[in-house]
Amino acid sequence: MKLLTHFGRLTALGLREIPHRPGSSLVIVTGIAGVVAVLIPVFAMYQGVQATIRNDGSPERAIVLSRDATDEYNSTLSREAVSIIGTAPGIRRFGDTGALVSAEIVLAAPVSRKHDHSDVNVTFRGVSPDYFALRPELKLVAGRMFRTGTQELLVGAAARAQFEGLQLGELVRLQEGDWRIVGVFAGGNGARNSEVIADAQTVMSAYKLDGFNSMTIALDSAGSLPLVRNALRREGRIAVSVWSEPDYLKLASKSTDPMLRLAAYTIGTIMSLGALFAALNSMYSASASRAGEIAMLRAIGFLPAAVAAAVLAEAVILALLGAILGIALAYGLFDDLTLSTLGGALFDSQLVYSMRVTPALVGMATALACGLGFLGSLPPALRAARGRITTSLYEI
Amino acid sequence: MGAETDIAAQRDASVKYFPLVWAGLWRRPTRTVLTALCILLAFMLLGLLQGVNAGFEHAIASAHRESLITRTRVRGGAPMPIAAIPAIRSVPGVLEVAPRAYFMGTYGNPSANDTVVALATRADTFFRVITGLRASPAAIRALDGDRMGMLATTPLLKYWAWKVGDRVSLRTALPKKDGSQDWTFDIVGSIDAPDAQTANYYFGIINYDYFNDNRTRDQNTAEIFYVRIANPERSVATSAAIDRIFANSSHETRTRSQQAGAELQSKQMGDVELFTHCIIGAVLFTLAFLTGNTLRQALQERAREFAVLKATGYSNRGILYLAFSEALFLYLPPAILGLFAAQLVAPLAREDVGVILVSPGVCVLGLSCAIGLAFLGAALPASRLARMSVATAFARAGPG
Repeated sequence: MKLLTHFGRLTALGLREIPHRPGSSLVIVTGIAGVVAVLIPVFAMYQGVQATIRNDGSPERAIVLSRDATDEYNSTLSREAVSIIGTAPGIRRFGDTGALVSAEIVLAAPVSRKHDHSDVNVTFRGVSPDYFALRPELKLVAGRMFRTGTQELLVGAAARAQFEGLQLGELVRLQEGDWRIVGVFAGGNGARNSEVIADAQTVMSAYKLDGFNSMTIALDSAGSLPLVRNALRREGRIAVSVWSEPDYLKLASKSTDPMLRLAAYTIGTIMSLGALFAALNSMYSASASRAGEIAMLRAIGFLPAAVAAAVLAEAVILALLGAILGIALAYGLFDDLTLSTLGGALFDSQLVYSMRVTPALVGMATALACGLGFLGSLPPALRAARGRITTSLYEI
Repeated sequence: MGAETDIAAQRDASVKYFPLVWAGLWRRPTRTVLTALCILLAFMLLGLLQGVNAGFEHAIASAHRESLITRTRVRGGAPMPIAAIPAIRSVPGVLEVAPRAYFMGTYGNPSANDTVVALATRADTFFRVITGLRASPAAIRALDGDRMGMLATTPLLKYWAWKVGDRVSLRTALPKKDGSQDWTFDIVGSIDAPDAQTANYYFGIINYDYFNDNRTRDQNTAEIFYVRIANPERSVATSAAIDRIFANSSHETRTRSQQAGAELQSKQMGDVELFTHCIIGAVLFTLAFLTGNTLRQALQERAREFAVLKATGYSNRGILYLAFSEALFLYLPPAILGLFAAQLVAPLAREDVGVILVSPGVCVLGLSCAIGLAFLGAALPASRLARMSVATAFARAGPG
């Protein structure tokens, strides 16, 4: 009890003195604010890309690829394979015969990015007319569905916003001439919003292709995946692998951005260490400049533990101030910023993602700030509590 | 004569000053060491981030503008007919053109993952256009002289334990003209990549004519044309002229110089440069604040000592000189160490990030930042000390 009262009084005393030595207190605040303001956007970027790839995965869908392929781009499925896969048990059907599936082709469409006019690729996907039934999270929000046999495109809302020339009614020059954008789709938070789609049969005839890349199938329920998998494994005519969509997307997200991940962790580590040293420095000099005062307090009976705890508390409070400042900066500058980077379904197609300053990130930043404040003030706090009273008093 | 004594006096002064600066620096060792560590980390980060930019810039700068690559504009689009080669060659400024087709086969046990890739092209033109790869003139002549020849990259040779002189058989999915699926190649030489980054290239170069004459699909087409032009200044115009040849056909092209391609690659990742500059800016700002505070404390708390120096005859300029030297000594060694640490760490990121080049340019930039920050941090407290009258200093400054 005595410890608590002492701690409370000492902390209040320490905080009241902050205005008298603004320099070293501001060092902690600025140091932590700098770390937080850099780390939040870097991690928001990293997580934004990851989340966008994974977001719309549904356990009630599965992706079929040729065996040995781990991405759509390297997978090929013949027309025959596609019709065999469609007969597997466990696939959701409508009516008597129709299996709810979409055999798809991934290609690239050259476009220009709006903000810097650089030439990039968007994923151009040939899909079945049942695409939207299979992906209820996506909805046609403008225009109409494409017609099989005519060169018509639907464009994802994210792609339309990020790239030039993808407005409703515009013409996009692809294989076999111009393709008209007849509709816009949106919904969900996933990578499909960054894509341009068209009827798979039309795409195949224009590009003179005789095979698909992948097939998405709707499962009766999430539990029927093993059923499909086993049936297709026993099927001798084809060699395919069946992935639950969340698993597939998890793998895809892992392979996309080791660069951002490495950058986030390297920058995070170096900056945190720097802030730690800065905090140590400033708490050492703060407690050194108050050495006499601290000795006096201890001489008149304040408990050493309370003295140490007060030093720790002061540093953590300053670090929290820094965290709030850094979070506010990051939020104001970067929240909801929409960017695009490599990470689409092809190795060189763009993924549109948004940076979000999420509660989890705010929590992480706050925890890091407190940790740095605590660690940075621990040695000075111990010294303040342990130092010999007489020596310190002598210095007054 | 006056100038000479000045220089001598200065040299004398630096000898005299150094112990003072050194002692000042180590007045509070904890503070100096912690500040130095902050500086070291900041400059390590600066070195790495600016090194990423330098890596891209190097790739762009070393890519040749006189090497053009023509691809189908739409990826996956129909390959281009080689009948267009005479038309490309007749574009003013074009020196040579080579088609490229893609060969993929399996070696040995076809069930394992053992794909071998080879580019079917004309070796002499290829190596003049793709300057990142080298083959000896003898190897190129050998490939020219042997229709079934193949040049292989060193990693590929090592992977299969092939030697120059070996005859290897690769199997393709599509049959050849004669109905068989086996292609025979003679290994006649190796391809070297002087750039360490290309050490994981696994492919061969084979003769376009041999491949084209025997394949059953896409005959007389190329998915890429390698073009070399005379005047690098005309690369954009020449690229456009080549693309016009294919305009409105079913295989429209997009021609880019190697340099434009390298530039595009960095663009596709997003604005890397802006991103790194923002972080470096934030880091330097924070560092300026942290170290500025340290310098202010370190100099101010010794106001009395500086007053003693003044009283013993040091000029105001001498005091400034002392203060700035101390700041430089605080900044430069850790900054140099930090840049050095960046250089040591950079190769570790090669696989995930690409080449991080802590180039001389990056170091110069880093050291100028260090010097700038040192002056910035010392300016205010130093000028205050220089202007302060001895009497005030004694009166105002606290103990020791």
